[in-house]
Amino acid sequence: MSAHIRPPQFDPALVARYDVAGPRYTSYPTAPRFRSDFNETALRAVIRESNEEPIPRSLSLYVHIPFCTSPCFFCGCNRIITRDPAQAGRYLERLYREIELTAPQFSRDRLVRQLHFGGGTPNFLGIELMRELLGSLAHNFSFSSEPEREYGIEIDPRHADADYVRELGRLGFNRISIGVQDLDPKVQHAVNRVQTFEQIQDVIVGARAAQFRSVSIDLIYGLPFQSVAGFGRTLDRIEQLEPDRVVVYGYAHLPEMFKAQRQIRAEDLPDPAIRLALFGCALERLTAAGYVYIGMDHFARVQDELAVAQRDGSLQRNFQGYSTHGECDIVGLGVSAIGRISNTYSQNARDLVGYYAALDNGRLPVVRGLHLDQDDLIRRALINELMCYGAVDKRAFGDHNGIVFDDYFRRELQRLQELVADGLVEEDDNRIKATPRGRLLVRIIAMCFDAYLGEDAQVPRYSRVI
Amino acid sequence: MNARYQVERLPEPGCSMAGDGDESHLCSTCAFSHACLATGFDRARLSALECVVEHLEPFHAGDFIFRRGDPFHALFALRSGAVKICRTEGDNHQQVLGFYGTGDVIGVGGIYSQRFPCDAIALDVTYLCRLPFPAISTLASQIPAVQQHLLRVLSERLGSVQRLNGNYSADARVAAFLLDLVARVAARGFSPTRIHLSMPRTDIASYLRLAAETVSRVMSRFRARKLIAVRGRDVELLNPDRLRDIGQALLPL
Repeated sequence: MSAHIRPPQFDPALVARYDVAGPRYTSYPTAPRFRSDFNETALRAVIRESNEEPIPRSLSLYVHIPFCTSPCFFCGCNRIITRDPAQAGRYLERLYREIELTAPQFSRDRLVRQLHFGGGTPNFLGIELMRELLGSLAHNFSFSSEPEREYGIEIDPRHADADYVRELGRLGFNRISIGVQDLDPKVQHAVNRVQTFEQIQDVIVGARAAQFRSVSIDLIYGLPFQSVAGFGRTLDRIEQLEPDRVVVYGYAHLPEMFKAQRQIRAEDLPDPAIRLALFGCALERLTAAGYVYIGMDHFARVQDELAVAQRDGSLQRNFQGYSTHGECDIVGLGVSAIGRISNTYSQNARDLVGYYAALDNGRLPVVRGLHLDQDDLIRRALINELMCYGAVDKRAFGDHNGIVFDDYFRRELQRLQELVADGLVEEDDNRIKATPRGRLLVRIIAMCFDAYLGEDAQVPRYSRVI
Repeated sequence: MNARYQVERLPEPGCSMAGDGDESHLCSTCAFSHACLATGFDRARLSALECVVEHLEPFHAGDFIFRRGDPFHALFALRSGAVKICRTEGDNHQQVLGFYGTGDVIGVGGIYSQRFPCDAIALDVTYLCRLPFPAISTLASQIPAVQQHLLRVLSERLGSVQRLNGNYSADARVAAFLLDLVARVAARGFSPTRIHLSMPRTDIASYLRLAAETVSRVMSRFRARKLIAVRGRDVELLNPDRLRDIGQALLPL
């Protein structure tokens, strides 16, 4: 499936035409589809059943630390702004209870092979609290001791230095993702995220010293006052840092959904043409600097495990974007965290009040979720292949999923013809394959196979496809 | 005199279902159909012998088909689904004694004592035929092939229980278990290398007298050595010859 992955080709006119709202497919069905009748009883039953497979899947833990000391105006994440360190203590108390309630449900031989700390700002927690949290996780779950285990963390460089990151390395972290967004001071002020190049450099020094396996840098295009020249300068300096991965997110301005975004004035945002040029600039420079385009917004060095996973066919789409270890069940811990156990998704309470209340009563804080049916599973597998490899072998996919591809997806393939005519995708009896121009619009191709998009007029709010 | 045979109204789940019998024909997967037909006994003739085969309502996962101590009146043939036979011992420990699938006959353990010596629990949606015992017994006395089939069922049961009591490695147990399941599916004409394990791994472990973790560890090892492919509960044997070498000692001759 991944034998030959073509590099993408930037076609501004085409991209502009398909600049419509669409899901990012970090899950399928997408989170707005989760149902409130998926409760603690359902989750416990699913975990029990998943323990009873002949070879129960390994675990991937996602831990959400929701606190930030100041609001970045672009952010659409679930987070809480506070400078009160006592908040962390109250939160961790509940998080430990959740860990103690959750971990024993999994058979002890289900090893944790992947761990990811996201936020908010995970490094809101000082190193002592981090040590305590990892201790709780390691005490309650069975951690893998193999060197391939992945412990990743998102870092805000304004609140971390080389020493802190070295300590994280001692705790077992070996992957880091650093929020940079843009280095241009004017842009930084406009989004309330002012940080220096030296702060970022310091974090990377710590990560390299601690022999982190992968250093990732997050950038955002489409922010206020961004220009191609300025973004180009940011990219120049980022390349000097030699990150293993670069993720270039598109800013989605949805002020009616995210309160912090109301601080951003629409008139300061780059127009659609500049938006496109910003992404085109990133694509061109990163490719020239030797990065492989993984898909959507992700770039990685040829030897980075993400690029390796794409070559060997073990890449997956998940809540962190792209990831290896597709075979794991994901356990979501913390407020708003989403888990993926067997054929289900489940999400914790999205506010602290609900999260605390459940745990204070000795209940798991799950508030909604979804049982995927056979059709959901088939479509999820297909959308995953498209998002990860930009191509699907119809026969292999059909055999694997017990369907005759062209019959099962007759209507979807008709819908696809418009994209074929536009040169986004090629389709014949054997396969579907994004063209180099279509690779940047793979979400559009995946949307053809989304069973939920057609059926309701009120499409949930998604960000732009590019 | 009337056959109480009911024509099934439910759509058949999956392809391995047999409900193709009617007033004059036996279901193709009926454990006894081959034996009967080979000797010229069609359904009409069986009815004349008052051999009444009753199709039961479906059982669901966890339902008891019979319990230890229940009086024995009939054998049951699986038209589709999966059943485990087990005995619950003190402090709720459940010892699994066997797994049965489409075409298998369960209940033979009750023939001698006239009470079922163990529990039979459905692992999945399961469709059964009830074969009233005196009638089957009469049939066996008239059709040698039916008698032979009953004896075969009994001796197979004995053999497998004895073998598992022996001193065998975990690898041998798991390999033989997989091969045995495949052989039983293959005997009914389905894919000879793929099986669906509808039973929980704790049941497999109990049956094989191993810890659950050991079953998974052995299967992981087989997978790493490319002897099997595992996807959820579906297992494909990639190298049955090698597995046969490993499970040799536990396999029937």
